[in-house]
Amino acid sequence: MTTVKFIYLMKMEQGYINMRKLKYSAENSPKAWLFLLPALIIIGIFNVLPLYKTFYISLHTGTLNNLRFNGLQNFSIVLQDARFHTAIKNTALYAGVVVPIGLIISMIIAVTIFDKIKNKAIFETIFFIPYLTSVIAIGIVFRFLFNEQYGFINYMLSWFGIEAINFLNDPSMSMTSLIIFGIWSGLAFNIIILLSGLRNIDDSYYKVADMFGATKKEQFFRITLPQMIPIITFLLMVNFINAFKVYAQVYSLFNASAGIANSASTGVFYIFTKFWQEHRYGQGMAAAVILFFLILFFTVIQNWVLKKISK
Amino acid sequence: MIKIENLRKVYSDNGYEALKSINLEMNEGELVCLLGPSGCGKTTILNLLAGLLDPTSGDIKFDNDSVINKHPKDRNIGLVFQNYALYPHMTVLQNVMFPLTVGKNKVSKQEAETRAKKYMEITNILELADKKPGNMSGGQQQRVAITRALVQNPKVLLLDEPLSNLDARLRLRIREEIRRLVKEIGITTIFVTHDQEEALSISDRIVIMDSGIVQQFDIPQNLYLEPANLFVAKFMGNPIINLFTAEKNGNNLTTKDFSINLNLLTKDRFKGELNKGKYIVGIRPEYFVLSQSPLFNVAIESVELIGKDAILNFNISGEHVKSITDINEKIQENQTVGFDIDYSKIYIFNEDGTRVY
Amino acid sequence: MEKLNSFIAKGFVVFMSIITLFPFVYMILASLMTFQEATSIPPTIFPEVPQFENYSVAMEQAPFAKYFVNTVFVSTVSTIGTLITSILAAFAFVKLEFKGKDMLVLGMAALLMVPYEVTVFTNYQTIAQMNLLDTYSALIIPSLASIFYIFYLKNYLTSVPISYYKAAKVDGCGDLEFIVRILIPLIKPALFTMAILSFISGWNSFLWPILVTNSTDMRLLSNGLSSFATESGTHVHLQMAASTISIVPILIIYLVFRKQIIRGVVKSGVKG
Repeated sequence: MTTVKFIYLMKMEQGYINMRKLKYSAENSPKAWLFLLPALIIIGIFNVLPLYKTFYISLHTGTLNNLRFNGLQNFSIVLQDARFHTAIKNTALYAGVVVPIGLIISMIIAVTIFDKIKNKAIFETIFFIPYLTSVIAIGIVFRFLFNEQYGFINYMLSWFGIEAINFLNDPSMSMTSLIIFGIWSGLAFNIIILLSGLRNIDDSYYKVADMFGATKKEQFFRITLPQMIPIITFLLMVNFINAFKVYAQVYSLFNASAGIANSASTGVFYIFTKFWQEHRYGQGMAAAVILFFLILFFTVIQNWVLKKISK
Repeated sequence: MIKIENLRKVYSDNGYEALKSINLEMNEGELVCLLGPSGCGKTTILNLLAGLLDPTSGDIKFDNDSVINKHPKDRNIGLVFQNYALYPHMTVLQNVMFPLTVGKNKVSKQEAETRAKKYMEITNILELADKKPGNMSGGQQQRVAITRALVQNPKVLLLDEPLSNLDARLRLRIREEIRRLVKEIGITTIFVTHDQEEALSISDRIVIMDSGIVQQFDIPQNLYLEPANLFVAKFMGNPIINLFTAEKNGNNLTTKDFSINLNLLTKDRFKGELNKGKYIVGIRPEYFVLSQSPLFNVAIESVELIGKDAILNFNISGEHVKSITDINEKIQENQTVGFDIDYSKIYIFNEDGTRVY
Repeated sequence: MEKLNSFIAKGFVVFMSIITLFPFVYMILASLMTFQEATSIPPTIFPEVPQFENYSVAMEQAPFAKYFVNTVFVSTVSTIGTLITSILAAFAFVKLEFKGKDMLVLGMAALLMVPYEVTVFTNYQTIAQMNLLDTYSALIIPSLASIFYIFYLKNYLTSVPISYYKAAKVDGCGDLEFIVRILIPLIKPALFTMAILSFISGWNSFLWPILVTNSTDMRLLSNGLSSFATESGTHVHLQMAASTISIVPILIIYLVFRKQIIRGVVKSGVKG
């Protein structure tokens, strides 16, 4: 009995070895998976699994160790939650103001640097700094600058006879302050990308236009702007998606809160509060799912627009 | 030495059949060119020989040993790429030493250097040893690439369009160099090119390919003098061969404006029967000869001078024809001249392209 | 008219550059003020006597040295890990042919659209289940691979001719040998840029460390700074000193590697 088993095992082994000694193939290298394995393990656990879990938890209630299925109830709670409405309204307001204003200011700066300024590198260097610095650290600085009594901004406003504004502790001002901070920190990326786009426009277009006597203004609207449209669309897309995920700016500007009476709460901040402070995991994840689909919706639409335009 | 049997290749991503059924046999030490228009399958054969592609079916044998399941490194080949594939961050010496310092054929650094230098001496690039490929001319890079391919002392050298990145004059010199080198070493060499002049000047034998089929495998002059079919006749020769559609009527092969008396043809050049029907007559430019008793008279449309020869352009039988004559004939535009043809040098093809005369 | 426009535009750019720089400059100035100076009305601009001890006071009140070491350690290890996993994966994608490649690329591209903020919370649960909360592993492991950098390198690797790989293969060079001896030297600039960008984003990471750490010992600069800001109340001069500690190292890296960083960001189109 054991011998039979042994021979059987031997045969298995043989088969295994034959299997392993697969003949060489130039067009199919399964060993590629070996090279991908380290990355795929991490991605599987921390990119794919959480996506599934987010959906799963959004349909459950209870603690993370003891989840009970409760269907779509979390979604109905979240969708009826006034704080969620505020958060989404704020997010939309933030995106709707920061993105266009930020882009217009960036465009003016980029075109001026490209066109009229000799020492481009210095300005490029300066404008890019906010991109790299910690939002948290710079948020603390902004909180200082925004201070009602001794803040530098109110001091400057006083030069023009404007009375001190309570930027941080007045619910009606929270979003304005957040938006100012948002525009300030978003310029860096836009300017750098726009400048690289401007550099990529073929110089001969302008030479020809000069020959035909086109004015600077005409050149901008007839050459520069049309050439820049793919890049502007790309920036619109990236900016919008990022605006929908705004969170750290709020956290740092309002000192780990969402402003007085949650007046500056955003989508991600709402999720954070539900998940982290109230331990309503299901509701937090339901909000995450809603936000995810909102972002996905915008991504798809903007991808579609981008494709249309690039044609 | 190399035997290719019923080799077929269909690309799996787009289903394109690059090779239909290839059979070739090459001898030890032979220099063979794979020649044909782009997309004919010549590079596919090279990649299959190197083991960089998998055949769909068929076999490749080196010294009667099937290699299709072998890894490229076990095939004992050297390969030179069109772009040379020299590593830009390494010096010439490091590039040449590279094959000797990797994988299971690794040798000591010292031995690698000795062997690399030995080959660099043969190819005359010793003085480039410390240069980086980026600072070298195309011809120098080419030589380094060949040296690197030879340094492992392979049995077969494969060259993929090695001259196409060089300027015209350099190409002439390097191709002679390559021939001298591979003959000196005695290595079996396969050379892929789309340039017929290059192939004719360098090879022992040439494989002409089109649409995945070997059209003819022969010594260079035979390709020109005895093309196997219409494709080869059209492919070889510059200016291109003149072709006329003709119909057999009794003992004549009649085109629109002139007819060929079949009795004037050389009997033993016939490869098949000439039955009643349509044929294609091929006449190379140099076999239209000026004659006092011409087959036809025609007005010359234009004359192009190329060195000692002149190309005469004219229209006959509805075709635009080029013929070559000696420049001393001093033929002018609009002049009417009489032409005869060299009956022993013309070709007759069936409508499907196979040759009958 | 055109001249006037040009003047206004230039003026605007200068004005905006001052606005961009001012918070940093004022942060450093305020970090050297006394409490009275920092909170005076009207605000002080230049401290009378630079109060360098603000830094030591801040570092006494919260273990910024520890945060600093943690941040350097976590960012460095994550960066090295990302480099390794990305090189291996990008190599497989660009130089090897295998079944399922197109599907895998497509799937990863789709994952790229999933916002980090949506997955970060459930990742917290995963780490908790692994019993890794409040450890360096929790901070490091999730950032050992990044789809984004795999794609970044994959793009870059397509510019390395495939014939390099084929030639090496014919020469008997193994895949790992090829990566180490040919690929890495050739793509050094891209790797370098990627390393800087990955290091900086590790340095500034905030949401993840807040979720998975509770003890002060495990904090990174960003969340250490944030809790210091809450705890230190109105001591703005100390807050400015602490902010300076976390911003200045990045500013130095930026000023040294400005060109590579800007080029890298432009090429990858990454938004921090």
